[in-house]
Amino acid sequence: MKNAIQVYGLEKSYGSHIVLQGLDLQIETGEIFTLLGVNGAGKTTTLECIEGLRKYDSGTVIVNGKMGIQLQSSSLPSYIKPMEAVKLFAKWNKAKIDFSMLDTLGIKEIERKQYVQLSTGQKRRLHLALALSGNPDIIFLDEPTAGLDVEGRLSLHDQIRKLKSQGKTIVLASHDMAEVEALSDRIAILNDGNIVFCGTALELTEKVGKKYIVHIKTQQGNNTFETDNIGDTLLSLLGELKHKGIGVLDIKVDRGTLEQHFIEIARRAEE
Amino acid sequence: MSGFLYGVALQWKLDIRSKSLLVTCYIVPLIFFLLVGGIFTSVMPEMRSTLIQSMIVMGVSMGAFIGLPPSLVETYGSNIKKVYQANGVPLYLGLITMFLSAFVHLMLTCIIILLLAPILFEAALPVHFPEFFLALAIYIIVSLSIGSILGLIVKNQAKLTMIAQLVFLPSIMLSGIMFPTHMLPDFLKTIGHLFPASWGYRLMLDHGFQLENIWYLILVFCVAVIVCGVLLKKQKSK
Repeated sequence: MKNAIQVYGLEKSYGSHIVLQGLDLQIETGEIFTLLGVNGAGKTTTLECIEGLRKYDSGTVIVNGKMGIQLQSSSLPSYIKPMEAVKLFAKWNKAKIDFSMLDTLGIKEIERKQYVQLSTGQKRRLHLALALSGNPDIIFLDEPTAGLDVEGRLSLHDQIRKLKSQGKTIVLASHDMAEVEALSDRIAILNDGNIVFCGTALELTEKVGKKYIVHIKTQQGNNTFETDNIGDTLLSLLGELKHKGIGVLDIKVDRGTLEQHFIEIARRAEE
Repeated sequence: MSGFLYGVALQWKLDIRSKSLLVTCYIVPLIFFLLVGGIFTSVMPEMRSTLIQSMIVMGVSMGAFIGLPPSLVETYGSNIKKVYQANGVPLYLGLITMFLSAFVHLMLTCIIILLLAPILFEAALPVHFPEFFLALAIYIIVSLSIGSILGLIVKNQAKLTMIAQLVFLPSIMLSGIMFPTHMLPDFLKTIGHLFPASWGYRLMLDHGFQLENIWYLILVFCVAVIVCGVLLKKQKSK
């Protein structure tokens, strides 16, 4: 399948400060791809270069499809109403308005309000609707759930999954690790203008080399231990407990959080 | 085209919702017209022959230099322009729609002045209406083009308020609408000639529609279009 986005040797400096140092990146069509990085790692610059909002010094950016972009810091004229903005953007993109998408994002509920009267969450939903109004193939979402309550966040996650099921490619930038873990097919970690990791969350865990941590609760009490080989360890442990007639009440296997792995990768890259 | 026309119609609605534009394009110029028109024609009855043109210069200067630029700063000094750019709406849309909408608003204010002045103050109507309206349209366009430069060049509202006054006040005080320019010292007369208000005022007077009154306005407009183009290009490349 053709990649939705291909980036080769992307370089960008602001004066003497080098932000991107020959960055390479391939984003597959139909995947949810997340760009992670500490503040100043070059995430926004990378996204803006791909989106065509920022000029880069050298390199190649190939985007195969129509883009829809939700920026992290977005704004609209104070007195515009949500449906007016949606209509304006749809007309410019010569696209039909997707009323079911607007329904899902709750735009109809706020259609009488002016932009200045909307809450942070309502503004986020509106900007997502605007990003989708041109019926794009590739959707860039920069911190899409920042400022949203739990309900709003979950509903937006559902919307993002729905877009993926429609074959859209989604490029996400987020600091919310739970969100990244829940949504992403692949993750790229950016450090000092270079990609230091690109792969699935599982591959990230493998790369960090974290051992499995097993928490087991039996009739005789609680126990926690580490292992490299989870399959064999669990089989022999459960066999032994069964043999001794000890009942197992709960088992939890943990390999650390995505956040811990991200910090570990960033730390290794710094070294 | 439909996106552009919708943009113009939408901007018209947004301007009506915006109280600041209502104040600068309608309320203040019309209150000024009612008060000063009454005073002028009582103290100096001969001003009846130029009252309409004087009040129009005041109204257009206020709308173009104080009313239009804040709307432009709201769009071009903020993330609105980025949202437009990111979603396929061209950067020039904001400028052109605001310009056209402000043109219509100012034209309406001028028509109100034109209709009320003879009734309220026995002001003389222009002799040649087509020439008058053409002169008025040219003057509004030139004034708005200067307002557009202000809105694109200044990045925050506080600075804008100050700079807009530097264009607005000399336009009013030195254009000849408050008192005849021959009463001014030479250097103030020269400064007054730099602002389009004095040229627009003369252009709108009876028999004033002549090349000697129009060339400077055309020059200012051409320069303003180039400057706005450069400023928009600069915004885009950022």
